[in-house]
Amino acid sequence: MRFQDAARDARAVVYAGIQADPQVARAAELLESATLAQRILARAVMNGETTDPDGWRGTFPGLFGDAATDPTERAHSESILAASLAVAERGEQVRSQVRGAIVEELAARLLARRVGPTGVRRERRILFDGVRAEIHPYDVTVERESAAEAYDCKWGARGINADVLYQLDDARTHAADEGEPLTVALVVFDAARSCVVRLAAQTAPHEGTAIVTLETLDELAERSA
Amino acid sequence: MSEIISDVIDRALEAYAALTELGEEIEDEWSYVNELSEAWRERLDEVAAERGQDRLSGEAGAAVDRAIAEVGLITDPHRAIDWLSTFPQVVLLATGGRP
Repeated sequence: MRFQDAARDARAVVYAGIQADPQVARAAELLESATLAQRILARAVMNGETTDPDGWRGTFPGLFGDAATDPTERAHSESILAASLAVAERGEQVRSQVRGAIVEELAARLLARRVGPTGVRRERRILFDGVRAEIHPYDVTVERESAAEAYDCKWGARGINADVLYQLDDARTHAADEGEPLTVALVVFDAARSCVVRLAAQTAPHEGTAIVTLETLDELAERSA
Repeated sequence: MSEIISDVIDRALEAYAALTELGEEIEDEWSYVNELSEAWRERLDEVAAERGQDRLSGEAGAAVDRAIAEVGLITDPHRAIDWLSTFPQVVLLATGGRP
């Protein structure tokens, strides 16, 4: 098993531009240390129709209302709100791309806490002897001998589909065939309950694929998925 | 004046039914939309059964009404599917439930 940079095709070039958008880094930095409620705020605002900050403050009284007495946490919520509104104000197509890139960047940052920044790579393919390489690269990989990990990232549970489940499971089983452990996981910026519903309807193999959700994101920084 | 949780959840469920109907317009996702909707309805029903007679603060009730107003603006069925997951989480946070 070996890792390789993805081909620099047109898709990769366009997507690299999205990934380099300062809004992506800003939002991911804020979400890295966010609470579950703050992450739900970000998801709601970035999915939202309205961009009135006072309206959103009123929708999340636990973060901005009478109960929000910790000034540091309240300031963090304000920063997340501002960063999320900046994304929401983009056009629909760009907004969708930026949201996806934020989840990838967030996953990479959390993983880097555990394995260090040099151990985390982006947009990498995994090659196995005698196996045709997948065209689509993995969003995030942890490349360590005998402890490799591959992640695909989704903004919502609806992004869980047969293609991504087959790709992750194939990688895991090919690695096992070579005697190499490979942890595979889907990082979904959505609730576990929604992911469970989506997975229940999938016939693609996923028993060996971990699902990291809004509620369990911080575990990326603590242990292998 | 504060309201009881079950009244607020009843309003939320009514809005959620309309959101589900909009999401159903994506024919390929009809089953997912309905299964997702059912799963979150069950969670909201649990909260209503457990704490339905508890009173909510005025700002919590207003938060749910703002969330209802937000989903009322949605006309795109794809966006509606996104909110079928997000809306109940927002309602649960506002009513003090576990998302």
